[in-house]
Amino acid sequence: MSFLAPLFLFGALAISAPIIFHLIRRTSRDRVPFSSLMFLRATIPRVTRQSRLENILLLLLRCLILLLLAFGFARPFVQKPILPDQNASQLKKIVLLVDTSASMRRENLWATALDRARSVLANIAVSDIVSIATFDRTVRQLVTFDEWSAMTPENRVPLSLQRLEAIKPGWFSTDMASALITTAELFDDNPTQDHLYGTRRIVLISDLQEGSKTAGLQGYEWPRGIECVAEAVPVIRPSNAGFQVVIDAEGALQLSTNTPPRLRVINSGDSVSDQFQVQWVEPSASTNLNVYVPPGSSRVLSAPALAGGGFGERLVLNGDSADFDNTVYYVPQKAETVPVIYIGNEDQIDADQPLYYLKRAFQQTRRHVVTVFQHAVSDELPSSETDVAKLIIVTDVLPDSQASRIRMFLESGSTVLFVLRSVESAATLGALLNTAPLSASEIASKRYAMFGEIHFEHPLFAPFADPRFSDFTKIHFWKHRQVEIGDRPNVKTLAAFDDGSPALIEASVGKGTLLALTSSWHPSDSQLALSSKFVPLLYSILDQATGLKSHRFQYWVGDNVVLSDTNAVQSATIRKPDGTEIQSGPGGEFSETDLPGIYTVLSAGQPWRFAVNIDPAESQTAPLVAEDLERFGVPFPKEKANVKTARSEEKKTEQHATELESQQKLWRWIILIAVIAVAFETVFAGWLNRRTIAAS
Amino acid sequence: MALPQFSPGVPVPAQSSLKGSSLIDPQALMSIKSLELRAKHVVEGFWNGLHRSPYHGFSVEFTEYRQYSPGDDLRYLDWQLYARTDRYYIKKFEDETNLRCHLLVDNSRSMHYGSAGYTKAEYGNTLAATLSYFLYQQGDAIGLLTFDEQVRNYLPARHRTGHLRQLMLALESPAAGTATDLSGPLKRILELVTKRGMLVLVTDLLAPIETLHKNLSGLTASGHEVALFQVLDPVELHFTFEKAVVFRDVESGRDLFIEPRDIRKEYLAKLEAHNAAAKKMCHELGISFHQLSTDRPLELVLFDFLRSRMHRSKTKRRNMSN
Repeated sequence: MSFLAPLFLFGALAISAPIIFHLIRRTSRDRVPFSSLMFLRATIPRVTRQSRLENILLLLLRCLILLLLAFGFARPFVQKPILPDQNASQLKKIVLLVDTSASMRRENLWATALDRARSVLANIAVSDIVSIATFDRTVRQLVTFDEWSAMTPENRVPLSLQRLEAIKPGWFSTDMASALITTAELFDDNPTQDHLYGTRRIVLISDLQEGSKTAGLQGYEWPRGIECVAEAVPVIRPSNAGFQVVIDAEGALQLSTNTPPRLRVINSGDSVSDQFQVQWVEPSASTNLNVYVPPGSSRVLSAPALAGGGFGERLVLNGDSADFDNTVYYVPQKAETVPVIYIGNEDQIDADQPLYYLKRAFQQTRRHVVTVFQHAVSDELPSSETDVAKLIIVTDVLPDSQASRIRMFLESGSTVLFVLRSVESAATLGALLNTAPLSASEIASKRYAMFGEIHFEHPLFAPFADPRFSDFTKIHFWKHRQVEIGDRPNVKTLAAFDDGSPALIEASVGKGTLLALTSSWHPSDSQLALSSKFVPLLYSILDQATGLKSHRFQYWVGDNVVLSDTNAVQSATIRKPDGTEIQSGPGGEFSETDLPGIYTVLSAGQPWRFAVNIDPAESQTAPLVAEDLERFGVPFPKEKANVKTARSEEKKTEQHATELESQQKLWRWIILIAVIAVAFETVFAGWLNRRTIAAS
Repeated sequence: MALPQFSPGVPVPAQSSLKGSSLIDPQALMSIKSLELRAKHVVEGFWNGLHRSPYHGFSVEFTEYRQYSPGDDLRYLDWQLYARTDRYYIKKFEDETNLRCHLLVDNSRSMHYGSAGYTKAEYGNTLAATLSYFLYQQGDAIGLLTFDEQVRNYLPARHRTGHLRQLMLALESPAAGTATDLSGPLKRILELVTKRGMLVLVTDLLAPIETLHKNLSGLTASGHEVALFQVLDPVELHFTFEKAVVFRDVESGRDLFIEPRDIRKEYLAKLEAHNAAAKKMCHELGISFHQLSTDRPLELVLFDFLRSRMHRSKTKRRNMSN
């Protein structure tokens, strides 16, 4: 029998109290009233021998209660020998976390990392539970705790190593914070058994580069009891430099495609060289551009031009020993040509006509070049234009033949914006809608009209839905026409004037959409062309007609490419740099950007390409100081382990005792007996008291 | 009218004549609920014990002569003396008004202790009732003042129909006080009683003697005749407790664990010293002091009182004649 808190046994000395009380002559608890205590003084109770004999059972009972309490509080337990396999402090739960980021591709780092993993696994005891995981941007568990436990002890290490050796470092960046947090949370999977394990440890095998993202640990409270042991893979030649294409800010104008891309060359802090050369290698080699970058700094420069002008697709950085990050792929930004057909008889330089304003509204941007092809109402539309143009703007009365051609064009899925400049145009509108000729009347009130009701939920007006942009009251319409369309299921009024007549009508014709504006934007009709809403509204129509979205041409390895944002592609085939073709996932998302290189999207429309490069953070290969991680609360008890060995034996015994005591819980029974004894003592003493009173 | 027993001619009954079966046991007496009835029993028992009738004539007592001065009432001129000496003298007589007696009864908490089935207060009240009944019978004016730490009831000294009844009711009224403080009530009585008379103080005197001395000296100095009855319970007098027990002071509520065997001697010595001091003080101040145990029959107390009173009158008169 042993005790967890033997000091409580001293409490047994308290039995002297009832013995003394029993020796003291029992005094009545009643108070005897007396006239005055002025002649009396307090006296000390006398000790007699008489009472010891009288209440011996009561005395024994009281002593027993005190002894039981002292005994119970001392937390007794039956000692059992410490079995080696059941020794909690020796049991370890270990996660072997191996870095597979792009920086591990340097020289023979991966081979060294595998050696480290082998040596760690060789020292694993049979009772230990191990999980093996690799990490770069994310954590992948190769062997879970359950799988390890399920394997036979002799197969555990070979099978785990086999799985680990099958892995090669990828091209992804290192997210150390997310890897450590995810791994620390692996220990919580089975909290009921975790108390059995004395040590919970993460063995981190990594090159511990500066570019590992550790900031995520800042807001994370590292769980207690999980220690981290860093097995830094030594780098033979630490020097490294990398470079990247500086991606222009979204929406930046780049009118000329001959503008060279900007490059940022980064030299690692532990680098030994500072002279590098940048050179195009595809499609043809260019001259070297020398660049001087001191260790630990970076420089931005313009890429050299190819001999024949223009720019290539692959740039290399020479002069750096670690070549994993010395290649950059480049797909030049290309502005998309958006053709628009305009049918109207007016002169394009006539400032009183709509075309004048239309041409000026569609300015060339870095991403789009809108080309307006103007045709007279009776002109035959060339198929080269009709094949590519998705938007036709009609501002005049069309002859029937032309109207039927436009109608076919509509039915095939294009969008037509029909501007009712006169009452006569109503007949053309009727023809386009394939109905009886419509009647229209000119509304020219003395007061101007304005938009009275706008359906902001419609995609056309959705960009204006924000209260900051939804004010259309500054646009005054001097003239507009009222068309009697009647109730048609395929016709929707998107905007109406304040007198209730429709201003912008949307009608679905076949696969296409017909938009009819019952006024016009030129100055004799309205102020629309002069308002700030005109250009966004035209682009909104153009976007709806052509799926006007911009491409991104530069991604990092591991980035998600959302294809649905690019030319409204819902699903497409993507050809990776290694030639494999992959169908994009639902929602037009493509996430398998696991290789640097140029990817080609083979969609139904025009194929386009984008470049995927290594995250520039991977180029920062200067070693990370372990204190940086300790600063975030991750414990690295490498040195402390040796210091603690002397105390470990004592601690081990203590833990064993605690465990045995918590299993046996003898104190509960002892306290229960004590409570019963107290109850019995109360009843017995009460009975004795009553008997004494009755006798007296 | 003067009291017959105070006159020099009244024969003193032998104490033996009051002993025997004629005495009423105080315990039996206290079982009578009416205080007036108790007093009546005691007084009548007392009369029965006397051999001679107390209703005896009494003449005007001459005290001194004073030379006549014009304007004096000629009725009081001593013609015989004038005949003998040829001088005009006016005869002066002792005040012949009835005795004015005030009973000062302590009703404090300590008086509410009793071991014989009745308390000191009950005994003291019966004593006061007996005295008042007795004096009332004699036609004297009786007043009452009950007190604890302050004056509770005050009835001025009177002799009229119903006054005795009122007095009995006042004595029977329950006590509300806690502590004994004689100084307040004694000061008060000095203010209330301007005419000289008799003051009978019934108390257990369980208070420091020093303060008592000061106040009682005030009473005697103003010419009052003071009699002090110290009423004590037999248990208080002999401290007959055996078991160790917690004693509670009925006045202060203070608890004290007492082992009686250890402390009895000390207690008795202290009580003795206290009583001796009280007695000495009374002697110094000319106060007749009577220590009573509550088991003493009241007839004897009355008898003792009257005897001492008579003895005192004699002494006084002798002193005057000398």
